[in-house]
Amino acid sequence: MMSKSLNSRRRILKLLAGSAPAALLAACVAPQAAAPAAPAAPAAPAATEAPKPTEAPAAAPTEAPKATEAPAAPAESGPTRAETLIFGSDTTDIISLDPAVAYEFSGIQAEASCYECLVSPEPGTPGVKPLLAESWEAKEDGDTLTFTFKLNAKAKFASGKPVTSEDVVYSWGRAVDLNKSPAFLLTDIIGLKKENMSAPDAGTFVVKFPKATGQGVFLSAIGFTVAAVVEKAVVEANKGEDMGSTWLNDHSAGSGPYTLNKWEREVQVVLDANPNYWGTAPKLKRVIMQNIKDAANRLSAIETGDADIVQDLSPEQKKSLEGNADVKVISANNTQLIYLGMNAKKAPLDNVDVRQAIRYAINYDEIIALTEGDAALVQEIIPAGFLGYQGTNPFKQDIAKAKELLAKAGVKEGVEIEALVPSDYPAGPIDFPTLAAKIQSDLAKVGIVLKLKQMQISELLGVYRKQEGNIVFILWGPDFSDPHTNAGPFSDYEAKSIAWRNGWENKEIAALAKEAASAPTDAERIALYAKFNERMLNEGPYAVLYQPLRTFGIRANLDGFMFDPSDTPSLTFAAMGKK
Amino acid sequence: MTRVIGGVGAFVIMHVFILRRLLGLCFVFLGVSVLTFAIAQLVPVDPAASALGGQAREGQIQAYRQQLGLDRPVWEQYGRYMLRLAQGDLGNSIRTRRPVTSDLRDFFPATLELSLSALLVSVCLGVPLGIAAALKRSQWGDVLARMAALIGGSMPIFYVGALGLNFFYRHLRWIPGGGRLDVTLNPPRAITGLFTVDALLTGNWPVFNNAVWHLILPALTLGYFSTAVLLRITRSSVLEAMQQDYVRTAKAKGLPHRLVVLRHIFKNALPPILTTLGITFGSLLSGAVLTETIFNWPGLGRYVTTSVLNLDLPAVMGVTLLIAFVYPALNTLVDIAYTFVDPRMRSQ
Repeated sequence: MMSKSLNSRRRILKLLAGSAPAALLAACVAPQAAAPAAPAAPAAPAATEAPKPTEAPAAAPTEAPKATEAPAAPAESGPTRAETLIFGSDTTDIISLDPAVAYEFSGIQAEASCYECLVSPEPGTPGVKPLLAESWEAKEDGDTLTFTFKLNAKAKFASGKPVTSEDVVYSWGRAVDLNKSPAFLLTDIIGLKKENMSAPDAGTFVVKFPKATGQGVFLSAIGFTVAAVVEKAVVEANKGEDMGSTWLNDHSAGSGPYTLNKWEREVQVVLDANPNYWGTAPKLKRVIMQNIKDAANRLSAIETGDADIVQDLSPEQKKSLEGNADVKVISANNTQLIYLGMNAKKAPLDNVDVRQAIRYAINYDEIIALTEGDAALVQEIIPAGFLGYQGTNPFKQDIAKAKELLAKAGVKEGVEIEALVPSDYPAGPIDFPTLAAKIQSDLAKVGIVLKLKQMQISELLGVYRKQEGNIVFILWGPDFSDPHTNAGPFSDYEAKSIAWRNGWENKEIAALAKEAASAPTDAERIALYAKFNERMLNEGPYAVLYQPLRTFGIRANLDGFMFDPSDTPSLTFAAMGKK
Repeated sequence: MTRVIGGVGAFVIMHVFILRRLLGLCFVFLGVSVLTFAIAQLVPVDPAASALGGQAREGQIQAYRQQLGLDRPVWEQYGRYMLRLAQGDLGNSIRTRRPVTSDLRDFFPATLELSLSALLVSVCLGVPLGIAAALKRSQWGDVLARMAALIGGSMPIFYVGALGLNFFYRHLRWIPGGGRLDVTLNPPRAITGLFTVDALLTGNWPVFNNAVWHLILPALTLGYFSTAVLLRITRSSVLEAMQQDYVRTAKAKGLPHRLVVLRHIFKNALPPILTTLGITFGSLLSGAVLTETIFNWPGLGRYVTTSVLNLDLPAVMGVTLLIAFVYPALNTLVDIAYTFVDPRMRSQ
């Protein structure tokens, strides 16, 4: 009896191991993968993992070996910990590592080490310096600007092949054809058309675009990763069905100081030093961008030394690191602006005096105090660190003036205005609901009742985009390192961006922004932006509140750390080393 | 009473049984998919705009909506989805822009490994303690069970987890920080996707050790709550079995105490424990959402949280369907397990 029951037990176990995991496989593995995996898979894991019947599903989610992990050696033969930089931050935003596709901070941070552009932003100053291009010439011809770039003859890809103008034409054209998130920088901002690029010889690249774009805007935009140069031959060899985009998520084909070793989704991006790098070799052999989503874990990681740099520490965490000799804390300007938008199509905000009254009702100094010093008072549309930033902060709380303006506009005491507040999104060092509550109490002093409505950020953006908000608390970060990245969207109603979302149309101010963008010299541009600022600040639909600081924790033995707010990304891994 | 059916009979019955369950599963899938779709329609968020972020241009959003088929009527979207699902295709995630099946393949093993380890913790602690508490029939067992349940219920996972990390990792440095492995190590070649198992199968000892160290705290955190539940069920179930006539008979005929406990008491006390295990495992999977967030564990819980916040319907649907499959699958396993421990079930 005993042996018989054992016998049937084995049968059923076999049955279980055979059918249940196979069915589960079918549910979670693509059919083509399931077919070869199913017969072989359950046997081995079931033997080790299924002493209890309840644990049988352990055998189920069998994976076909991934192509990307195949070459990874099981034994560690890579760089030592001392030769490795571990950068801890929330990298959940990465969706692609293809320079023509990525438009997320972490993705750009990673790929900016693998790819290079013709020019690169000059840290600390407006303007660019040569990178893949050693020189360039601009020529005006009617409404068209023609740029002729001479490529640096020394520049070569990680494969060892030289960077040619053919690669540049291919890379930019590819970004235009793919038409993903960052493509507008080439198509809309520059006004680039594929047929206007040419490669007369291997070392010369010629591009034509409308003169109205402006030289400064053009050079800034092509310093962004969307204009990075990929190796045509390599990408073409792996193009698949999406011009190599999928392939570039797990491989790199650039000329930068690092190459992509692997991207383990949601876990880490590993970059290895490019042995063929044509410039100054990076000091550290490997960079690991570790995804540490939770701020408490980032603090622990920097305290224990598990990470060399962590990004985004809160004011309290900053305090807790005071006196720790192993960790340096650096707070640097972030180029984001925290602002509130006032819909100029909705009463009473359609009256410029009401908008001005709100700007005078806010106590800006107390808001900065609320952030415990982790924000800089900025009231202009162009952030500090950019050309055209003046640092005039004309608004200071003035209750009497605000009341006077409201009376002039005929607004009664106790008027109710709805304000949308992102419920789950940081406004730099503090969160939006805290900020909104503060402003609610400020506005109450001038007789405006702010009805706060908290919303999930994606829902809020939906309302904002439809011009349906009244007051909206939100932030904006620059797309490229030129003032036009803010001045444009904030003033141009036609662009259907920020000005449109706030139902505000002023053709004169928009024209002023365009003129400032295309003015030939920096001095002329600065003068025009001063005019622009003056009008925008007083007539526009915005109250800019502050520019948050970003706080990094850095191990004391790390050197070469520099944060450049005007560049995206703002950190350069290749410059960092260890003492 | 009929003769106990063994051998071929049991085999056929099992097949019919599993087929019936699979059929039931189709209905579960149908229900879950309709519900998830309906909920997604009620949320006033445009998934395409959400995926592209606050600075995306209108034109891009429209293009992405078209690409995703969001511009089509709901019923058509649903029809297309179900058609693809029937072919085993869960579609592409709106956020990660990869096939949902690839995402699940990457993240489910992490959650499974964590849940299984937690289950192991609660079985290894809960069952023996429960038996001991029942056999001794003294006050301490009761007190222990109640205390464990109280602590389990009043100290939520996120609190215990954060406390544990702060103490054992940040201060004592006994255990490694979050994640499944030290970042300086390469994961083992993927066979099952469970790092511990794969490392064993490939004989990669350093990785195995590291993976186990990384598992300890999250597994304890996730497992301790169900330990309390399991302890109580085991205790009461064993107590009940001890009252039965056959136990008295076994004792009377002079069977050694050890055998009485193992063969007569424990075996008869097992069915409710198995049921609880099935339910526990389900709750462990959902409890993993919090644990994963705290321990930086790249699993399904973290994936689905991010997906829900971005209204990534295909991803949420994929996870929901997977869980909707795992639950009945577990119940089926529990039902089958019954037939081992209780031969009477086989004749029914």
